[in-house]
Amino acid sequence: MKALMSLGALIGVAGLLLLGGMIFDVIPSNTVRLVEGYMPMQMLFEFACFVAGFAGLSYMMSAMGMALPRFWQGIGFWAFVLLYLKFRVYPPIPFSVRAMYGTVSLVAVFMWVSASEEDWKKFKQPIMNVLDAQTGMNRLLRYAYLVILPILIGGFSYNAMMPKSEEPIELRTVHPAPPASTKVHGKTYTLQTSQNPYRVNQEGKYDQEYTNANIVEQGMGRLMKPNANPWDDKNQGYLKYVREGGEIFFQNCHFCHGDNLNGRGLHAFAFNPIPANFTDPGTIAQLQETFIFWRVSKGGIGLPNEGFPWASVMPPWEQHLTVDEIWKVILFEYWHTGYYPRTWD
Amino acid sequence: MMDSITQKAGIAAVAAFGVVLVSSASYSIVSAQGLPEGFKKGDLAPEPSAEMIEAGKRVYFTKCVWCHGVDGAGDGPGADRLWPRPRNFNQGTFKIRHTASGELPLFDAKKPIPGQNDLFETVTHGLPGSAMPSWEGILTEEQRLQVLAFVTTQLVKDRKFTDKQSETQTVLQLAEIKAKPATDESKKRGGELVVEKKCVECHGMEGRGDGNAFNLKDDWGFSIQPADWHKCWNFRGSRQDPYNVGNIFRTFSTGVNGTPMPSFADNTTVDERWDIANFVNSLCERDALGNPLPIDPLTDKPKINFVVPSDLVEGEIPADMEHEAWKKAPKRYVAMGGQITHKPRNFVNRIDDIWVRSLYNDKSIAYLLEWDDRTKSVAEGKLPWAPTQVNIDIKEQDPKTGESESIAAHQNNYTVYNDAIAIETAVKWKELPAPIKPRYLFGTNDQFPVDIVKWEADGSLRAFKGTGWDKDFEERDNYEESMKLLKGEWKDGRWYVMIQRPLGNKKDQDYDEDTFFEMGQYIPTVFFAWDGHNGDAGRKMAVSAFFYTFMNPPIPRETYIYPAIIAVGVVLLEGWVLTRRANKKKGKTL
Repeated sequence: MKALMSLGALIGVAGLLLLGGMIFDVIPSNTVRLVEGYMPMQMLFEFACFVAGFAGLSYMMSAMGMALPRFWQGIGFWAFVLLYLKFRVYPPIPFSVRAMYGTVSLVAVFMWVSASEEDWKKFKQPIMNVLDAQTGMNRLLRYAYLVILPILIGGFSYNAMMPKSEEPIELRTVHPAPPASTKVHGKTYTLQTSQNPYRVNQEGKYDQEYTNANIVEQGMGRLMKPNANPWDDKNQGYLKYVREGGEIFFQNCHFCHGDNLNGRGLHAFAFNPIPANFTDPGTIAQLQETFIFWRVSKGGIGLPNEGFPWASVMPPWEQHLTVDEIWKVILFEYWHTGYYPRTWD
Repeated sequence: MMDSITQKAGIAAVAAFGVVLVSSASYSIVSAQGLPEGFKKGDLAPEPSAEMIEAGKRVYFTKCVWCHGVDGAGDGPGADRLWPRPRNFNQGTFKIRHTASGELPLFDAKKPIPGQNDLFETVTHGLPGSAMPSWEGILTEEQRLQVLAFVTTQLVKDRKFTDKQSETQTVLQLAEIKAKPATDESKKRGGELVVEKKCVECHGMEGRGDGNAFNLKDDWGFSIQPADWHKCWNFRGSRQDPYNVGNIFRTFSTGVNGTPMPSFADNTTVDERWDIANFVNSLCERDALGNPLPIDPLTDKPKINFVVPSDLVEGEIPADMEHEAWKKAPKRYVAMGGQITHKPRNFVNRIDDIWVRSLYNDKSIAYLLEWDDRTKSVAEGKLPWAPTQVNIDIKEQDPKTGESESIAAHQNNYTVYNDAIAIETAVKWKELPAPIKPRYLFGTNDQFPVDIVKWEADGSLRAFKGTGWDKDFEERDNYEESMKLLKGEWKDGRWYVMIQRPLGNKKDQDYDEDTFFEMGQYIPTVFFAWDGHNGDAGRKMAVSAFFYTFMNPPIPRETYIYPAIIAVGVVLLEGWVLTRRANKKKGKTL
């Protein structure tokens, strides 16, 4: 037990030092990187480490006779959660969301400190002490609070009432509901039944399994399989089309969607929102190929209102590409990211 | 260990002595070893293993081949529409190094140590200001080393990284050289040195990259442009750390291979190099307090605030940029991307940001727009398109035209059009339920038009109504009388344009015609910019995203009253809590 707790304490101290160092720029802020795609899991893990660390710390301290009062433990933990959300989470989350998490963790802290009558009493003891002001120190504190609280609250409300020019929050639906069918270059495609004509095997037949077998396992650093080089001149079928799709992608799409297909292309920084990140498991991996076909063909203009068509830079690619070229680009995007399109069954 | 070092140093000294004998440079500043100050002899790295090269080939043919090409000649399918073009690996010429000019960069397949593995760092962090992205988080460290093993052994054809006969390594010891603090004195001396060392001939008098802008070519004959010192986030090799003066020191010491940028290691002392680096670093854009701009880790460019605040001035809006009101007005960074949505598309965008400030009075609103443009372009003769005209029917250049016909080869050879800038606002933004706006490119249709105020380098200021990306603009004749060009000046690679326009027809509240500028409201605003020497005209241009013009209202009286009331309320509450507690205690003790 003791060893376990010591380990927890060690983790806690190391983690706190690391986090503090990163926040105050003592050590490079990218020392422990939040890796795209793994960010939520990484943060849950980090958080678990910190909780274990705190538990260990408080155990060690009480074992050494320097137990921290329950009151300060509760407040300290809550403050930690707020700071963690503010400084560690990237991309930053809006204040409203942080406030929500803050409230939830406040409730959790209350539940923890009021788990038993004894704990609750211990928790509120410092507050009562200040209110009663039996000692000189507490009297001083009481007067300080009496003065500081109104000033603080008045100051906050003044700050809140000052007219500000902050960006208005606009909630955009990233994947709006697609139409049942779409007309591209004069031909109607039913989204439920259409298929990518280039997802074919070597005999030229539509074959989801064959192409899936040529897509590498998912994960960062997705690479082609050995001996599945789309640049091989002898390629026929799927891999040949992947290369053709890649050529079109790198002549038209990578300026925004990036060489990594992660939405960080050359021009991407100028746009709001920045272009879609195909390596994020929340984008093309969640969608049917026909959805992508509709989005690529119609671009930002073709979006319904909830998709903010006015803010999208995505052109209707049917103006620049043929239907075949669009299907090939889609094929390439799945090959390059290692994802499988979602299917109807 | 010590022995081998002294031995090496001995050999290095002899070799360097030979170099000094051969080189007739009379002004060489060399250390005791015969090497430029701050450099030491290094060893060639061992050849990577065959398995590593084979694994690297897979990485290359998945990720890199699209731009750098099958043979590594920098001619992949993406290459022709890129400027600067992807690196041609064949000759072994690499830009960002810790090695002396002309030498191969540092690469060791076993050693990803910062400052000792140039190619690894380039792949890891990418090259800002070019299409080369950061591969960190995409490829593992091992994969990055593997692909470099493949590139250095198979695609670099004219030289060999392990050939002790022909290759030497003279390594800049950046980690050991103590940085000189950026004092005013150091920066002042640096400012004098950039003139003395002729840096300004290419980089321009104010370092905006506007000197000699037409004649510079890289080793492959493609036109290139000198760096703009005011945009350090675009420095190659700035490694997501653009304000780090060490990066400038390194580039200045080693030169940029393949470009006209030489190494200054031989004719400057380390001290002088720090002065120059400090000076160049001091030019990079900073905020009002002189702090580095926060860099957005998502994009590696300055963070963007999409609100352009406009401050109220009494009386006339000053036309003088140096006026107190303009100096106090917050300056916003507006990022610009190439318009590649509709033909003619602008793949090579040369205006990647503008700076915007705004002021208003009771009748007008004024924008002060500043942007770096290496060339002042004013069209001569008749333009192929009237500024009102759509030119979407233009034949677009086929991307598969080979190097000599590529966009990069054509750069700086275009017919010269007018430099221009435009502010587009949504006409009926009041009637549209938020957040709905017209389409950002020239409006949606007659129902949701936009109002475009465009200035061109010939001095004209015109207003148009846009009703869709594929429709000609309608010129607004009667409206232009009330607009005013307060300033339009090009100086040392930067345009300063100040445009004043009316706040809209307030009397009739005529939302159909005018954009009605209202205090305290978010008014959707888009910025367009054209670089005349880039062939930008009509729809070929740089575009921003939707910004908001926000006219700061005067602070209402309630802002002062309510917080005071709240504070008093808190005091009362405190009194109540204390009395209650005291009473309760009394009750208990009694």
